[in-house]
Amino acid sequence: MSTERTVTIVPEAGLHARPAATFVEAVNDHESDVQVGHTDEDDLISAGSMIAVTSLGAEAGEEIRLLADGPDEEATLDALERVLTKPEDEIANVDT
Amino acid sequence: MTETLTQDRIETLAATDQITLDSAPADKRACIEYLLDLLVDAGRVENRETALEALLAREAETTTGVGMGIGIPHAQTDAVSEPSVAFTRSEEGVDFGSMDGEPARLIFMILVPESGADDHLSILSTLSRALMHDETRDGLYDAETPEDAQAVLKEAVA
Repeated sequence: MSTERTVTIVPEAGLHARPAATFVEAVNDHESDVQVGHTDEDDLISAGSMIAVTSLGAEAGEEIRLLADGPDEEATLDALERVLTKPEDEIANVDT
Repeated sequence: MTETLTQDRIETLAATDQITLDSAPADKRACIEYLLDLLVDAGRVENRETALEALLAREAETTTGVGMGIGIPHAQTDAVSEPSVAFTRSEEGVDFGSMDGEPARLIFMILVPESGADDHLSILSTLSRALMHDETRDGLYDAETPEDAQAVLKEAVA
């Protein structure tokens, strides 16, 4: 089984730069595999790869789909949601 | 309209004089200056120092090593008036501090004006998408002239 969640991106720069790096690190700190994609596309890509996340070009205010598969799906999605919903200047304080 | 790397726009955004296949310096800062000088020499940059400061500030925030042997140093700065892309290769690889530990062998630089946040994200995401494909990276490794490399990019964004 897997768990899906849709999250709206808050950081002003979108899923880019520090928010993107924090996001990818959070994915790799958890055991579940995570895939990410736009809500209007079926394709999902690896959320644990910086180049893949950069390729999304996800902007602030945009919704993205997260799909977690593994032993800590909910905890992983909670951590990623915290990263995606903090303004950029508070990212350093996010508990992932 | 948002600028992006379409087939029609590559010759403007990444002109062949902004591409060199000579091996770049192995030090990250020297490599960034090397790419910047390509853009300076091509007449794309109005203020080299301002552009360099913006690039280094961006690197200080988080690395631009995106993995898979690719580095994409980039900045939004009014040192340029048009979005501009440069490309070089490194045989030994440059440590861009990427999370997968791979040194960067294919290195792109993107500079866009301060007001061009949409252009910036669009060019960066299109380039990243193209570079995720093995055939794009192999084509860039195998390119023998800047024209070859430009053609690979055109094919990759088609």
